[in-house]
Amino acid sequence: MNPENLRYHKEHTWVKVTGKKATMGITDHAQEALGDIVYIDLPDADTSIEANSELAEIESTKATSSVISPVGGTVIEVNEELSESPEIINEEPYGKGWIAVIEIDDESEVDDLMDASEYEKYLEEESK
Amino acid sequence: MKVVVLGSGPGGYVAALKAAHLGAEVSVIEKDEVGGTCLNWGCIPTKTLIASTEALRNARNLAEYGIESSGSVFPNLAKMMERKGKVVSVQVKGIRGLFKSWGITLREGKGTLVSPRSIEVEKNDGTKEIVEAERIIIATGSRPADIPGLPFDGERILSSDNAVTVREIPKRILVVGAGVIGGEYGCIVNELGAEVTIVEMLSRAVSAEDIEISEYLEKEFRKKKITLMTGVKVARIQTGDDGMHVFLSDGKELMTDKVLVSVGRSLNSEHIGLERLGIGKGEKGEILVDKRMETNVKGIYAVGDVVGGMLLAHKASQEGIVAASNACGTDMTIDYSIVPAAVFTSPEIASVGLREHEAIGKGMSIKTGHFPVRALGRAHAAGEISGFFKIITDARTDKIIGAHIIGPHASDLIHEIAVAMKAGLAAKDVAETIHAHPTFSEGIREAAEDVLGEAIHVPKK
Repeated sequence: MNPENLRYHKEHTWVKVTGKKATMGITDHAQEALGDIVYIDLPDADTSIEANSELAEIESTKATSSVISPVGGTVIEVNEELSESPEIINEEPYGKGWIAVIEIDDESEVDDLMDASEYEKYLEEESK
Repeated sequence: MKVVVLGSGPGGYVAALKAAHLGAEVSVIEKDEVGGTCLNWGCIPTKTLIASTEALRNARNLAEYGIESSGSVFPNLAKMMERKGKVVSVQVKGIRGLFKSWGITLREGKGTLVSPRSIEVEKNDGTKEIVEAERIIIATGSRPADIPGLPFDGERILSSDNAVTVREIPKRILVVGAGVIGGEYGCIVNELGAEVTIVEMLSRAVSAEDIEISEYLEKEFRKKKITLMTGVKVARIQTGDDGMHVFLSDGKELMTDKVLVSVGRSLNSEHIGLERLGIGKGEKGEILVDKRMETNVKGIYAVGDVVGGMLLAHKASQEGIVAASNACGTDMTIDYSIVPAAVFTSPEIASVGLREHEAIGKGMSIKTGHFPVRALGRAHAAGEISGFFKIITDARTDKIIGAHIIGPHASDLIHEIAVAMKAGLAAKDVAETIHAHPTFSEGIREAAEDVLGEAIHVPKK
C-alpha cells in the first residue's frame, strides 16, 4: 500500500515534505516494474534540479530508467548507502530506499502532486 | 621489383608481405622489433593485460556463478607481465616466420632516406649500409606525445609505452586524457586495485565516439569508482615526499603516485630524410599522400600513423596493402568510408560509420534504433548486462550509415554492420535476417528493428 503521508508524481516517484525539505524516492509500483535493481547513478549533493527532470538513473536487470524529480530545488543529501546496495530500493522503496533530500524552491509544486488515493486511481488507469 | 619498407608495424609488415605476394624482392628496415607499436607496446600488450584483469574479475565473482573457492584471489603483476611477454613474443616470431617464408629480408637498424632510390641503414652495432630500392614504402609510425611541463621519465610520469612495462601496481594514478589509451589503461589499473582519476581537456570521455556512448562509459566509470574530470587540464605537478601534487587548470589540487600521459601521438616523420628528398608534409608532420598512398616523390609511398588520419592498426594495414599493390604495378586506391574501430574499455566500445551528431552536422535526416544489452537472455546467462546497441540510418533510404555498440564483445559484433554498410544494406535487411539465439548478435537485429519501430523485446510505450 502506498503511504498516506506521501505525495506522488506520475513518473512514479514520491516525496515526503517537512518544511522546505522533501525526501524522495521511487514508488513500490516502480520498483516492482523495474525488477531487481543493480545500480543507481546518484546525483551529487548541491546539484540543482527542476521538477519533472531526471534526478538519477536506475539500472535493473531488465531496464535502465530515469528517476524523475517530483519537485524542483537543490539536492542537499543523497542516500550513499544505495551506491553499495541498490537492492534496498526493492526492499524498502518508502523507507531505507529513499534516494535524495531536496530543498524545495517552490512549495506550491507539491500541491500539483497526487495523494495516495489519487495515485492508486492513476495506477489503475495506467494499467488499462 | 625491389621494394624497401621502412618500419615493420601493422602498416609496414603487411605492405612487405603484400609486395612479396606480388613477386617483389622485399627488404624491411626496423630499428626496434617487428610488429611496431601495435604488437610491442599497444594493441596486443594491453589486450593481454585486459585478459588478465577479466580473469581476475571473474575469479572475484566466482560465487555469482555458483563456484566456491577456498583460496584468496589477487593479481601478481610480474606474472601478468611475463604472460604478456610470451604472447608478444609468439606474435613477433609469427611475423618473422612469415617474412622468412616469403623471402623478405629483415634489416635491423635505423633507416634514413638518402635518395629516391636508396636508404641508409645504421645498424645497431654502429655500422652503416646502403640498401637500394626501386620502390620505397615509409611506415615509421608514431610515438606517445608528451605535454609541456610533463616530460616522460618512465618512473612517475609514464607514456603508454611505459605503462605496459610497469613493475608495480600504483596505489593512485592520474591519467591525463580520457581517449582510447587513457580509457583502456584506466580500466586495467582500476581492476588491479589502483585509485584512478582521469582528467580530460574536452567535455567528455572518448570524445571521438557517439555522445551516447561517451555518456554510457562515463556512468560505467562511476560504477567502478574511476573519477573522471572533464573540461580541465593539468597546470603543473610538484613532487613531494608524500607523492605528486597535481594542480589543475580549474584551481583544484589532487594527489597521486603516478601520472600516465595519454593525450595523443606524435608522428615519426622527422630524421628519416624526408626534407632531403622534398617529400611533402602537412601541419601535424603527416606525410602527404594521394589515394594510392604515393607521396609527391614518385615511387615513394607512405602508410600508417605517419600519414595521419585515424591512428589505427587496421587502417595502417589496409594502406600497406594499397601502397604495396601500387608499388608492384597493381592499381589500387584507399577507401576510408568504412573503418570499424574498437576501444577496449570495460565494457568494450565499437563503432563504424557516422556518429549521430556527425550525421546531424552534415544536415542529414536520420533515424536511430537502440537496444539494451540487458534485454538479451544470453547477456544474463553470461552475467554481463551493461551496454547498448545503436544503429543510425539515413531516414530517406533506410540505409545504415553508422553503428555504435558498448557492451560485451562489441569489438567483434561491429563487423556485421561494417559488412552491411559495405553492401549498402538497409536496417530492414538486418532486421529481416534471422539471428541465432541466444547470442549477443541478437541485439544488432533488435536495434535494426527498433530503427523501424518494430523491436520485439521492448515494453509497450
